[in-house]
Amino acid sequence: MPLDTSAYSLALLRVDGRRWNELRRIHAQIRTQAAADGSSYLEMGHTKVMCVVNGPSEPGPRRGGVATGGGGGGGGGQSKNAEVAVNIVIAGFSSVDRKRRGRGDKQVFELQSTISQALAASLHTHLFPHSTINISLHVLSQDGSLLAALINAATLACVDAGIPMTDYVAACTAGSTSTYAANDEGADPLLDMNHQEEQELPGLTVATLGDSDRVAVLVCESRVQVSRLEGMLAVGVDGCKQVREILDRVVREKGIKMIQEGTVERGVGLNDMELD
Amino acid sequence: MPITILPPKAFREPPRNLHHDSDDVMSDASSDSEDSDSQPGGVSLDSGETIHPRKRRSAATTSGSTFTKRPKTANITSSISVPRSAIVTPGERITTDPQWMRGHGTYLSSATLGEQAITSSLAGIVTRTNKLLSVRPLRARYTPEVGDLVVGRIVEVQAKRWRVDVGSTQLAALPLSAINLPGGILRKRTETDELQIRTFFAEGDLVVAEVQQLFQDGGAVLHTRSLKYGKLRNGVFMAVSGTGGGSGVVRSRRQVWTLESANNGGPIDVILGVNGYVWISKHVDPVIPEEAKNQQTGITNLEEVVSATMYSSQNDRIEPETMREIARIRGVVTALVENGLRVDEDMVTKGYNEAVEMALVSEGGPEDVYLGGERGEQLAAALTGRLA
Repeated sequence: MPLDTSAYSLALLRVDGRRWNELRRIHAQIRTQAAADGSSYLEMGHTKVMCVVNGPSEPGPRRGGVATGGGGGGGGGQSKNAEVAVNIVIAGFSSVDRKRRGRGDKQVFELQSTISQALAASLHTHLFPHSTINISLHVLSQDGSLLAALINAATLACVDAGIPMTDYVAACTAGSTSTYAANDEGADPLLDMNHQEEQELPGLTVATLGDSDRVAVLVCESRVQVSRLEGMLAVGVDGCKQVREILDRVVREKGIKMIQEGTVERGVGLNDMELD
Repeated sequence: MPITILPPKAFREPPRNLHHDSDDVMSDASSDSEDSDSQPGGVSLDSGETIHPRKRRSAATTSGSTFTKRPKTANITSSISVPRSAIVTPGERITTDPQWMRGHGTYLSSATLGEQAITSSLAGIVTRTNKLLSVRPLRARYTPEVGDLVVGRIVEVQAKRWRVDVGSTQLAALPLSAINLPGGILRKRTETDELQIRTFFAEGDLVVAEVQQLFQDGGAVLHTRSLKYGKLRNGVFMAVSGTGGGSGVVRSRRQVWTLESANNGGPIDVILGVNGYVWISKHVDPVIPEEAKNQQTGITNLEEVVSATMYSSQNDRIEPETMREIARIRGVVTALVENGLRVDEDMVTKGYNEAVEMALVSEGGPEDVYLGGERGEQLAAALTGRLA
């Protein structure tokens, strides 16, 4: 193994200098594209993704060939619920090795399907019969936690598009400090894995609905000992709550800025819930 | 009992419900959230059984709260301090008081057992109308309402109706029976009309119409049974954000008017669709043939004559001066939207006059119609300074 994540036990610091329970820097913006209904840009460390949401809108007769992300969240067309169609483009320059991904890439297809189903469960799709919500995600740079970053970016863009939803779907990853083979009892769970850690250590992606403990997405593609799973999951869910706070702050700041600029009229605040 | 509708109020008070209970009970996502956006304003009857009607909090507790109304004028440079509680975000609880009714942008959640809370499903601002609580989104797609004037594009031709894109979540329908057929307003629709439906409107045509009726699921039915409505030509189309939240076209007294342009441009029609679609065109007086003039020109006669040219797709001759002024008005509307100002007759007219003056002092002279970037900001600043 060329990687040196095994050095963790010496100083309890990870390869990028974080402690076990620290997130990477998350930077996000909404309303980045004026022409779209909703858009966002999100960085989790060096993972950078862009999201554009169009819709809900009814597809015309000509536009039949919309690439749907595995058909999650209802059928669209004449159905009673809106369809959530996710399309992911991974830029060739996004990772160190320039990988060519065709249209039928299985990995991308699975990502699309996961995101589509997760969002369809949170979005109030029954309010938009016969319509489609098109979510386009562009990966500009990859450094681990790709699925989590994509989910977070898609959530932000949906909020920006003004699509009603139950709550934010916030995601992050969690891992464990030792591999499956190493029968290490004192393995620490790790929060928000980068690419290097993802290569070497077992990890999972978890997304929760808002700041509740309700898990919306749980993806684990590596071998991990069952005894460590609970710790990883707990750390992951805790991370999701932190991520939700960050996303919420981004939305709030934008909203307050709009009120200050006079774009949106100020309404009734939360607390005058007395009747006249 | 008569119902009085009070205008939405603004107020300020320190946040109370901002924090969420983090020790929510794990429960099934689908079972505990119930949404009512499709039927605004309904208190679900089931919830009444589980919730004990709580005593109203005494008015004394909030009697000190002061209501403040924000002036409607948009002010770019102002930096009023806005509390974090001024906007709500998805999943944020608004109230648990069962006497409130939930409106658009909210749903009932029972995250804590036994108590149902009205929760926001959007990022936006809370508005109240009597007992109805709703959340207005910061930005959303256009939602049609009966009587709205909209500009739309035909996307599909069916046997007895057209499907029109009006920027809403669904395509609107324009039935063949809801247009003015050539040869008299009161003529009955015949099978011949159905066969030559494409001679009235074909795919890609732009129409100005009025929302006549709404379906239960939010779909709209349009009509063009007036001389004001019909096919659009001789101009330019642009799509800005409509009435739904944020800047863009707002519902106002006049959505259509004729502007006397400067620099020999002649009269120019501006149509601001409530859905955010805008049409700016050369004003053309309806052509009345000589023989029709000699006859008695009652209102039905006039409509009869005009409707002959109504479905033409041929542009009239447009002078370069007129084209330039159309482009200038388009620039004004773009600048208004980019700077977060509302788009209505008043703003467009003032903006246009300002733009003409700006062009006179610019290097390019009156032919300079560029209003992007700094010019747009300058225009917006001039407008807000004047309106304030």
